[in-house]
Amino acid sequence: MAPKRTPAAASSAAASGSSGPVSAPSPQTTAAPSSLSSGPKTLTTNSSIFDIAHTVWQQYLATTPQRTLLLDAFMAFLVLVGGVQFVYCVLAGNYPFNAFLSGFSAAVGQFVLTASLRMQTSSPSSSTTSGEEGAFADYVFGSLILHFFCINFIN
Amino acid sequence: MAPKGSSTPCSGVTLKVRPCVAIGDAIRAHTGYLARGYDLVFESPKSDKLSLFDLGEKAYDHLLILPPRSKGFGPALSPKNIVNFINQDGNVLLALSGKSTTPSAISSLLLELDLHLATDRSSVVLDHFNYDTLSASEKHDVLLLQRPGQLRPDTKDFFGGEGVLALPRTAPHTLGDTALLTPILRAPVTAYSYNPKEDLSADDDVWATGSQLALVSAMQSRSSSRFTLLGSAESLQDQWFSATVKVPGSEQETGTANQEFAKQLTAWTFKETGVLKVGKIEHHLAQADITAEDLNPAIYRIKNETVFSIEISEYSNDKFVPFEVPANDALQLEFSMLSPFQRLKLEPSSRTENSTIYTTQFTVPDQHGIFSFRVNYKRPFLTNIEEKHEVTVRHFAHDEYPRSWKISGGWVWIAGLWSVIGGFLAFVFVWLYSEPTSAKTKKTQ
Amino acid sequence: MAESPTDVLLKGDSGRNTRGLLRFIILATIAAAAVSSRLFSVIRFESIIHEFDPWFNFRATKYLVQNGFYSFWDWFDDRTWHPLGRVTGGTLYPGLMVTSGVIYHVLRFLTFPVDIRNICVLLAPGFSGLTALAMYFLTCEVSPSPSAGLLAAAFMGIVPGYISRSVAGSYDNEAIAIFLLVFTFFLWIKAIKNGSIMWGALAALFYGYMVSAWGGYVFITNLIPLHVFVLLCMGRYSSRVYISYTTWYALGTLASMQIPFVGFLPIRNSDHMSALGVFGLLQLVAFADFVRGFVPGKHFQRLLTTMVILVFGIAFLGLVLLSVSGVIAPWSGRFYSLWDTGYAKIHIPIIASVSEHQPTAWPAFFFDLNFLIWLFPAGVYMCFRDLKDEHVFVIIYSVLASYFAGVMVRLMLTLTPIVCVASALALSSILDTYVFASNGPNPRSKANDDTPSEGLRSARKPEVGITSYLSKAFMLTSVVIYLILFVAHCTWVTSNAYSSPSVVLASRMPDGSQHIIDDYREAYYWLRQNTEHNAKIMSWWDYGYQIGGMADRPTLVDNNTWNNTHIATVGKAMSSREEVSYPILRQHDVDYVLVVFGGLLGYSGDDINKFLWMVRIAEGIWPDEVSERDYFTARGEYRVDDGATPTMRNSLMYKMSYYNYNSLFQPGQAVDRVRGTKLPMEGPQLSTLEEAFTSENWIIRIYKVKDLDNLGRDHGNAMAFDKGHKRKRATKRKGPRVLRTE
Repeated sequence: MAPKRTPAAASSAAASGSSGPVSAPSPQTTAAPSSLSSGPKTLTTNSSIFDIAHTVWQQYLATTPQRTLLLDAFMAFLVLVGGVQFVYCVLAGNYPFNAFLSGFSAAVGQFVLTASLRMQTSSPSSSTTSGEEGAFADYVFGSLILHFFCINFIN
Repeated sequence: MAPKGSSTPCSGVTLKVRPCVAIGDAIRAHTGYLARGYDLVFESPKSDKLSLFDLGEKAYDHLLILPPRSKGFGPALSPKNIVNFINQDGNVLLALSGKSTTPSAISSLLLELDLHLATDRSSVVLDHFNYDTLSASEKHDVLLLQRPGQLRPDTKDFFGGEGVLALPRTAPHTLGDTALLTPILRAPVTAYSYNPKEDLSADDDVWATGSQLALVSAMQSRSSSRFTLLGSAESLQDQWFSATVKVPGSEQETGTANQEFAKQLTAWTFKETGVLKVGKIEHHLAQADITAEDLNPAIYRIKNETVFSIEISEYSNDKFVPFEVPANDALQLEFSMLSPFQRLKLEPSSRTENSTIYTTQFTVPDQHGIFSFRVNYKRPFLTNIEEKHEVTVRHFAHDEYPRSWKISGGWVWIAGLWSVIGGFLAFVFVWLYSEPTSAKTKKTQ
Repeated sequence: MAESPTDVLLKGDSGRNTRGLLRFIILATIAAAAVSSRLFSVIRFESIIHEFDPWFNFRATKYLVQNGFYSFWDWFDDRTWHPLGRVTGGTLYPGLMVTSGVIYHVLRFLTFPVDIRNICVLLAPGFSGLTALAMYFLTCEVSPSPSAGLLAAAFMGIVPGYISRSVAGSYDNEAIAIFLLVFTFFLWIKAIKNGSIMWGALAALFYGYMVSAWGGYVFITNLIPLHVFVLLCMGRYSSRVYISYTTWYALGTLASMQIPFVGFLPIRNSDHMSALGVFGLLQLVAFADFVRGFVPGKHFQRLLTTMVILVFGIAFLGLVLLSVSGVIAPWSGRFYSLWDTGYAKIHIPIIASVSEHQPTAWPAFFFDLNFLIWLFPAGVYMCFRDLKDEHVFVIIYSVLASYFAGVMVRLMLTLTPIVCVASALALSSILDTYVFASNGPNPRSKANDDTPSEGLRSARKPEVGITSYLSKAFMLTSVVIYLILFVAHCTWVTSNAYSSPSVVLASRMPDGSQHIIDDYREAYYWLRQNTEHNAKIMSWWDYGYQIGGMADRPTLVDNNTWNNTHIATVGKAMSSREEVSYPILRQHDVDYVLVVFGGLLGYSGDDINKFLWMVRIAEGIWPDEVSERDYFTARGEYRVDDGATPTMRNSLMYKMSYYNYNSLFQPGQAVDRVRGTKLPMEGPQLSTLEEAFTSENWIIRIYKVKDLDNLGRDHGNAMAFDKGHKRKRATKRKGPRVLRTE
């Protein structure tokens, strides 16, 4: 059970994590609003969590390049697929366990690979040595291996 | 068969033993039967020529030992030699007599077989209710008994029949606890053991009484060689074959059935009856057409349907006949590894001219390992069947499990996997397609 | 790959080419030395498989080569663990066999008609050459100095700690696993330095190969997450860490699950949970890091850390709960014995009974590593000075491996690579410092200390005389002397300690000539030629693989100790009275019993010396029937002479060992040369077994199990009767008379 739960926990914890760090540093944000200059709206000292999340969302939409948005859409799709599989597993049992594992880990693996690609491509100051094309080739390479293992494992 | 006598032996007629031949000796039977074609050799027990073995192999098939006139046996008939003879599949019929003291060699031989004689080795069985009033009205030492019936409801009866047996001066014995021993004829409940040379008053320790005293017993070794102990050698004599006897309280004089019984006894001892033979043993997967390659495979898989069949015939006097399991008995197949996983009744499925084929079908248990088909059929008076055939039961091979798409429960995940892959391909396509635009956006930024 | 360091001697392209060529030649020479130093046994004896375990691997390889991969995959072995059998295809690490199978077929394809046995014998030396190469790469990643890589490769090539498991003929999983271990670590470091998916994926692939080759993969499974975790705790999170770790974990776990023996273990077994936990943690950290890009804050770092610790605590609690509730398999016993050396002895004697699982004796470290062992701390210290990600890895590796090597002799093998790396770092830094000090504008010059071991402390001293030729010459000579001593030591150890096949014993005659004692093979070939093909042989599990491999007869237990109960059954049969043992032997269809007895020759590895383990293991299952205490005298001694306890003297093992041994000596003069004691006047009597074979030097004794007595007597009585003893009449029965009924 635990292994299956972890990615879900990751996402839920991430959700809580998003509210955690935001609510606490809110006094700080007024002190340094300049760093969020690109945001459409600055935060006030006592803005609600919803506002903050909204701000973050607005900012995200504004600052993210289109290609990264594509990546994020794909990642969201993967989270969705993984989540559905996980919920199904919890509800309907995990009888062909290898099928569940390969289906679910395909989603998780693809997710982390895509996240890696996003890190490599989105931030120009990335410490990786290879360029964007190289990163993408790596990504395809890794994904193919992943798919091979998953198909082999699902039998 | 006839023991060698100092005078003329009754070579080769029926099973007659004259009083003069009560020395008891070895018999050779090459061709098979006593009166029925046995080739008999008579030897004095002390004879130097007598040897049960020839170059280490047994020289005779069967051995009939009658009580010797002298005090003991020669070196050829030492207990060790007789045990070796039995171990080499020789059959022995040993007759004792209450008239003389049994030699100590015989006593220790019997002890090896878990047959126990009275301590003094010269007792006879007395019965004040079942004696012959004509010949032993004083001594009461000629027992008159009905011929034995079935030993147990589930055994075959080889010694049954009408008539009365006369057992004069019988040396009694008791049986130990071995499963190899079977009594053929027990003393009646009113019988007791008595040593005529001692006073009866010394009855402080009664050795055994009643039906615990056996008069005729059989031992069948694990290799199915047979040993029969007959308490009364005299009952084999011509005199008692044709004697007329009378039970106390009865007015009627009857003849004895000794001759018939002697015939049955020797026939059984010398393996003319009650011999089982296993013919073909076949096992295979339960499927419609079986070719020769499919027979008796060395390896099965767990949860296979398997058919096992065994062919058994019984030798009866001069021919093999189909063996029928007694009414209350069952022939069983065990499929075992360390302990039986299956124990099934084998049902007769077909019958040939001289054999019955017993068959059963079962599912191999869900446990891999080295199993064996075992048929272990050991019954009194029948030779032992102990068949053991090892087969390997293996696990599912990697391609014998159901494929994942055959399990409907896994469809969701298969769909998930393929949607991931499809999504990946679409993504790659879109990514490659969008590259120039993104480059432009970068530039514009 | 080694081009990263900036060398002082670099002078243009030609210089680089020359040095590249030189480096290549040196590496090739090192590999050749590594291979050839492992060939002692082949030259001295013959091309033969040595130890116990390799015999199984050899047999499995032969099966693979003969029957193809798929039937190897589905192999059900009915000639071991009678009558249980073994699902061999699903319970072994197939990497080794598949590797040699592939080599075999490739050579066949190239029309080299090579015997599969020779491939098996020479596989380990061949891979040790590759290990040296992998070591070079690994060290080059860690150190800027190219000489460190070469030194490490040279050390790895000949260090006895590694040779012990990779001489020719020791065809064991470790033979290729150490190469894979080192190479996986190299790829991992490469991945974490570059932060590229490709290196991570490669590391995962080699990790998968490693999983298929050796159970020791768990070491990697825990070391890499620990590395990442430590990096996180040091606040060194970066996208490189995320990329390399998540790629490695996602792919590596899937790869490892392809091995049937491993199966679902990576998500079920606690041993693998740390990797999963770190994976989850890394997701959180990455997300937090991502959010930070939008919500900056000065004490975000602090909040992040608290959150990390919080989540980690929760995850740990959940793990404990799941472990307790049994969803996740509890830690395996071997794992416990890593933490508590006494644990195995109490709870799992079968693990403790393996000599490889004993704690390491201190001299063994020096014996196996020589002067590397004191260069090792110096190297670790150097890593601290220059604390990059890969140095953190080296430090963690050294700490963990040193601890484990101290706990189990066998894990010395995992320590050896990192010792080579660390000491190469230290030595190369010494050499660089001294040799190039004169013309290098190195501001951090060193003092002229006498021994290289103190070269570290010198770091703080002002520069005095370091550039003088005297100090240079002195240093160089001492280092060279040390190196020469090291080489001499390695050669000596290899040739004397690790190259004697345990199958063939060598001894010296009084005149110095070598005498070969070949009892094992003599006995195994006797079995092969004189017994039925399906005759079941019972022996202690040490000899199971050899009997299977050399005698080709089914055995009850073997070195794959997967079924403790079955081994305990054999232990019970060996340690009980004949009357108790005989039904066990019958039930398991045993035809022959084989014991190893060294009393005549003074061969101390015999069964009487292992006997207490049999007793202990049997006692673990049947505490009521077997008790270790009964085998010791009242004064607590383990004796085989007149003073031996009745339990000891009646045990089947004792009887089989000493049966008829008296007949070799004058009456009353029988001596056991291993235990150094005189034996009782009367030798033991055996009734249920009969002696079938005794080898030339009495090392192997084989007994045939008698059938049941034909007349239904027990064997003791039958024996007595055969000897002419009169049987006592059973008239004086006690208790009530037993009536017989049908």
